[in-house]
Amino acid sequence: MAGVLCAGIAVFLLFLWMSVQPRPAVYIRKLKNNRYKLMTGNRPYVVKGVCYNPIPVGSSHDYDWWSDPYKPWLVDGKLMKDMGINTVRIYQSGENPEQVKKVLKDLFNLFGIRVVMGNWLGFWEYPCPFYGDKDFQQRVKSEVLEMVKTYKDEPGILLWILGNENNYSCQGNINPWSTDEIDAEPDLQKQRFMRFQIYYSFINEVAQEIHKIDPNHPVALGNGELIGLDVANQYCRDVDLVACVIYRGKTFGNMFRSLRATFDKPLLISEFGADSFNAELLKEDQNMQAFFLEAQWRQIYENLSDNPGEEGNCIGGIIFEWTDEWWKHNSYDPESWKIHDTESNWSNGSYYFDIKANGNKNMNEEWFGIVAVNPAEKEGGLDKRIPRKAYYVLREFWKNPAAYLKKNSNNSRKKESAN
Amino acid sequence: MKKLFILAMLMLMSVGCVVAEESAAVPAGGATVAASDTQNAPAGQNKEFIVYTDKNARGSHFFPSGWIGDFGDLKLNDQYANNPHSGTTCIQFVYSAKKSQNQGWAGCYWQNPANNWGSKKGGFDLTGMNKLTFWARGEKGGELIKKFSVGGIKGVYPDSLSVEMGPVELTDSWKEYSINLAGKDVSYVNGAFCGVTTSDLNSQGCTFYLDDIKFEFDPSLKEEGPKKESMPFYVFSDSSSANNHFFPSGWMGDYGDLKLEQSSKEDPYLGDTCIKITYNGKAAQGARWAGMYWQDPPNNWATIDKGYDLSAASKLTFWARGAKGGERIEEFKVGGLMGEYSDSDTATIGPVILNKDWTQYTIDLKGKDMTKIIGGFAWATNIDVNPEGATLYLDEIKYE
Repeated sequence: MAGVLCAGIAVFLLFLWMSVQPRPAVYIRKLKNNRYKLMTGNRPYVVKGVCYNPIPVGSSHDYDWWSDPYKPWLVDGKLMKDMGINTVRIYQSGENPEQVKKVLKDLFNLFGIRVVMGNWLGFWEYPCPFYGDKDFQQRVKSEVLEMVKTYKDEPGILLWILGNENNYSCQGNINPWSTDEIDAEPDLQKQRFMRFQIYYSFINEVAQEIHKIDPNHPVALGNGELIGLDVANQYCRDVDLVACVIYRGKTFGNMFRSLRATFDKPLLISEFGADSFNAELLKEDQNMQAFFLEAQWRQIYENLSDNPGEEGNCIGGIIFEWTDEWWKHNSYDPESWKIHDTESNWSNGSYYFDIKANGNKNMNEEWFGIVAVNPAEKEGGLDKRIPRKAYYVLREFWKNPAAYLKKNSNNSRKKESAN
Repeated sequence: MKKLFILAMLMLMSVGCVVAEESAAVPAGGATVAASDTQNAPAGQNKEFIVYTDKNARGSHFFPSGWIGDFGDLKLNDQYANNPHSGTTCIQFVYSAKKSQNQGWAGCYWQNPANNWGSKKGGFDLTGMNKLTFWARGEKGGELIKKFSVGGIKGVYPDSLSVEMGPVELTDSWKEYSINLAGKDVSYVNGAFCGVTTSDLNSQGCTFYLDDIKFEFDPSLKEEGPKKESMPFYVFSDSSSANNHFFPSGWMGDYGDLKLEQSSKEDPYLGDTCIKITYNGKAAQGARWAGMYWQDPPNNWATIDKGYDLSAASKLTFWARGAKGGERIEEFKVGGLMGEYSDSDTATIGPVILNKDWTQYTIDLKGKDMTKIIGGFAWATNIDVNPEGATLYLDEIKYE
């Protein structure tokens, strides 16, 4: 009898202890049916995000917009809030922590917008990111942990993303790196595996360290497509979610199911979208962009945890991007930063409306904004913001997503004339 | 070559115009099939809509005007009087397999009006019909037809359906074939019937006959569900094999650097032939890389809703070797074509250094969604890893 009583008291105390333990500010809840839900302050949170890099026309990627005297985030934050956006993704924090904190506070306090904060993990360092080098790893890890320590108590922080498409370097597609041990391996496929193993093990180590100093925010593995995630499944178990860059046109295809099978983690689509320039007709086509974005968001919502029919492993998406960046076509030519280039740099058949463009190059890097900018007209010192059709379409979508999910998912679209 | 094609098409069009004028009674502009079109047939019973029964038969509605592929290799006689299946004439096709237009395949569409590649609203509403039947025979028996199809013409006025069957091995006596259209949208049919064959399947050419091509209604016919292909499913077995699927039509990057031989007899791994690909690494298009997709149908860059359901496959295997050994292929791949009708999934292996001897490679498909695959197989390499070019051989490419 006494034993039963003791056991009962122990269970009660355990329950009491669990109930008074504070939950993390932001966390991922795994539901009984293995679906994933992002929670903030014990409330479900669907990431409705945009990539944010408000570079003024005439400037380039190294422009320090955090200290822009015209404070573009105030104008943009208002527009975002009106649209329904609740999150911005920033690829890397600025160099002045006080300015960064000011922006984070303004976005959160004034507009309720949270920030997904990233770090490039030295990906763009010359000559290449030496992920196999311990000194390089240590330096990058220190930078990341410093970032986390600096901003972890900012209420607007939603989560951390480690890297972006850095996994492509493991296959040699971009910024290739190696080690003596890898070079000594004759089997090229084993070489590839070894690079992924090194890279993902490093990410795992960084994620573990972040968890020690910041239990309040999830850590995401940034990844291009799902490439390499079979290896991550073995060596990167300690990240909380994956944040994938996906450009597959009107559908994400079997991505949600495929992720479930290879690396069963919650998914944030951390970069996706469509440009608004028809490279075949050589004119702006806002309808084209709006069509793709609406179709993509419909799929995101279909794969949230609440939708019983699909995988339930998606926690939201982040559109690339908020405003056009006019420097992107040629980052080496300052004169071109003042021009809205219409020449395409790359091809993607998934965006099929203008795939018959010259050389099949249909992706216009400077036209991905859902908000256009006009440098000839200034408002508050900033290039005037002009929301494109996608802005309004998504604003309506987010007012009542369920209504859109009921629509015919055939995605058929008659070609409308360009605006 | 393109000019020759255009010239030939113009000549055909001019012929087609004359034919069309002579057939002014033919309903055009999306006419609905009514009981009056099927003489003496009560509505709902024994309905039929004729593509061809006899030369100059009053009920014919389409014209064999849509020549595709190596159109110079095909000769048509639509009033062949020797041994028709019924009536007084049948259609004779003589295929020379000379690759007149360097395509390696040829075919012919029955259209309305003649030469209508979707630019005119000449198709018919065949609502009520649920199959197309025809009779066929080969001159000797054993002739291989890659496919017979209904619909599939694009353009401003595209066919409302695209259905095909094949490959078909003909016998030397008449045999009836049927294409099931139950459940398909037959509300607009311009490309009523098409037959395609290839030089690989008939390297010496062939002669075959068609007769009594017509749409019909069969009350007992049921809609076919998605066809899950059974395994093994070959991309390439032997050049003359009727079991091959997909076409090596998707040449990428420096396509001018590539030469493809599908009937190479240079030490095939199995059978009589293998595939030989020569990459000269001269960067003819300035891309510095090259590759090739096997597609269904040819040149389908995910722009056509086709492809195979290969969900029964757990892997793709193939044999490969290099002419010298040491040739580096960056990637072997299945699926991954992206477009309006993207492949349902993709899987790759690579880089691969080829051996001089035949070696089998496997692409693991476990966990992949293989329900719709247009790009059945692909490879790619580049100048940087093959500065002197490369010659590779492939054989026995199959899903298992």
